[in-house]
Amino acid sequence: MYDTSRRVENAVTPNDIKIQARNVQVYYGDKQALKDVDVDIQDKTVTAFIGPSGCGKSTFLRCINRMNDTIPIARVEGEILLDGEDVYDRRVDPVQLRAKVGMVFQKPNPFPKSIYDNVAYGPRIHGLARNRAELDGIVERALRGAALWNEVKDRLAEPGTGLSGGQQQRLCIARAVATSPEVLLMDEPCSALDPIATAQIEELIEELRTTFSVVIVTHSMQQAARVSQKTAFFHLGNLVEYGDTDDIFTKPRDSRTEAYISGRIG
Amino acid sequence: MTDMPLSDTAAAPRRKAASLLKQDARTRRRNAAEKRFRLYGAAAIAISLAALLVLLATILTNGAGAFRQTYLNIPVALDAEVLDPRGNRDPAEMARVLTTSYGRVLDAAVRDTIARHDIRIEGLSDDDIGGLISREASAQVRDRVLDDPGLVGQTVEFDVLTSGRIDGYFKGRVTMDSAERDGNTSPQQLQLAQELADRGEMVTRFNWDFLTNADASDQRPEAAGLGVAILGSFYMMLVVLVLSVPIGVAASIYLEEFAPKNHLTDIIEVNISNLAAVPSIVFGILGLAAFINFVGLPQSAPIVGGLVLTLMTLPTIIISTRAALKAVPPSIRDAALGVGASKMQSVVHHVLPLAMPGILTGTIIGLAQALGETAPLLLIGMVAFVRNYPDGLPGGLMDPASALPVQVYNWTQRSDPAFIERASGAIIVLLVFLLCMNLLAIWLRRKFERRW
Repeated sequence: MYDTSRRVENAVTPNDIKIQARNVQVYYGDKQALKDVDVDIQDKTVTAFIGPSGCGKSTFLRCINRMNDTIPIARVEGEILLDGEDVYDRRVDPVQLRAKVGMVFQKPNPFPKSIYDNVAYGPRIHGLARNRAELDGIVERALRGAALWNEVKDRLAEPGTGLSGGQQQRLCIARAVATSPEVLLMDEPCSALDPIATAQIEELIEELRTTFSVVIVTHSMQQAARVSQKTAFFHLGNLVEYGDTDDIFTKPRDSRTEAYISGRIG
Repeated sequence: MTDMPLSDTAAAPRRKAASLLKQDARTRRRNAAEKRFRLYGAAAIAISLAALLVLLATILTNGAGAFRQTYLNIPVALDAEVLDPRGNRDPAEMARVLTTSYGRVLDAAVRDTIARHDIRIEGLSDDDIGGLISREASAQVRDRVLDDPGLVGQTVEFDVLTSGRIDGYFKGRVTMDSAERDGNTSPQQLQLAQELADRGEMVTRFNWDFLTNADASDQRPEAAGLGVAILGSFYMMLVVLVLSVPIGVAASIYLEEFAPKNHLTDIIEVNISNLAAVPSIVFGILGLAAFINFVGLPQSAPIVGGLVLTLMTLPTIIISTRAALKAVPPSIRDAALGVGASKMQSVVHHVLPLAMPGILTGTIIGLAQALGETAPLLLIGMVAFVRNYPDGLPGGLMDPASALPVQVYNWTQRSDPAFIERASGAIIVLLVFLLCMNLLAIWLRRKFERRW
């Protein structure tokens, strides 16, 4: 049913564990959105979170870089360890954490500034460049990393909002990459894009994996199968099944996973 | 169960097969209602436009005269015997000579001019000749002589103000008919004025003094100007700008971006909206009680007016700033936080610039409201008759001053019809300032507007 031919070249190599979630519970007010999530996310791997709407996959993603802090009623229990350090430790400043864990959102959201300033913003506020030449270098590397450089190198001063949807999303990826994060979180990055732009982003994810640990939330099971090495299936706030993408899609252990990937629920 | 074939829904009423080319009664009614509604809308707009036009036309026709003033150009022999009896040109001593003496000198100058042109008018009385020029004229000449005592003994050309009735005659406000019934003028006096005008001695020209002069007493409408009021209004606007913009914007940013959402912030929110609806005269009472009686600031001072207007403007600024902040899409905040900006950085670098057009528009509209506000100023004594200009900043904030809308109110209270023209002129000035502020708001909005 799913194309697994590409899987061979992307064969998962055993890597260090980058993120460990232990017994994570998330509440929105009185309502529990996520129950007992335990998951190990590997470095230099694409991990896909799939599941029906409202299953908690985006909630969990936003826990990893503490974007849930911005929702006043959200409460997180349990541990999420990034390189062995609990990101919910009292001493952790979310600003430092987010420099290490970049994020790309569902809808392309470039700043209403020039393409250059969009990418340079992160490095500027984190003081990553000492002078203009260094900043130029960072911006170029980030744009190349997001496979956008050739399209925009002659119009870096033009507004980022003037790009097409797919270009905007790659600009957002470049913006996230520019701060040299270790983990890149992507919350349905292709849901607002057409198939061609989606294919470009997926190719890009494949390349990003060589540098970062990529975690992607997606509604498209085909996309999860295409881009990821590991897949986690969420259902009604539970992490139902987590394993190699091949296994999840060919021989799921849980009946709910099977039902979802075969299209009977969700 | 949802697979029921649609054709079996016998309960649903069938539409009769009718021609699409013919409107049924229901559609006709609906179209008629729509047409009526559009007519109501157009009529409402037409009525308001007509009202606006009538208002503007009235004010312009009444007030245009205030910007022109009639002057009599006469050579005045500054008689040393009268103006400097000791003959030593000491300004301190000359200052003891009162305006009545200057009045005599001017009187003689007017008679000379009449004689020089050989103007003879049947029944022209001495009062008519004396009343030709403004009572302000002698003060005008005196000020000039005290500035430059060397003028005494010479014959100097002066452009002296004519009296309000004569000025009114050249603007069409006073006619021969009305002069018959008027104790303050006579047809003979008007004839004299006409003769002098025909010989080019009396001219009606643009009146800068209206914008720079201080207010004048009831008997001298021709000398009354807006200088003190404009300066007072300007000082108050400075106070309002300096206080209400930082406080208002800071309060809005805190409430919108940082404050926890709980009962306390809910109460604050409701009260800010309520404050915006409080009648302005109540703010005047508050200002009287708090700033004058309690703090002990001087009455009629622009600082007090500015503080009261600040209190009035704050809710407007806070409400519009919060609306502008709310209109910034949350995705921009997410994007900034996502690359590791702090809350403060996301607000200052991204949210504020995007909200700027809205904030500026709200601020300027708030200021424009404050500029036109009268009621609270009446209560803190700005309605006083102020002849002296306030000092420069910052000391001038404590000096008595007037304000544009209060000056309008003041002038409409006076009996001389010339003051009605002055009041309308002041309204024109006020409207021009408001128009400029609104244009500034539009310009700033265009300049800072960005798409996202």
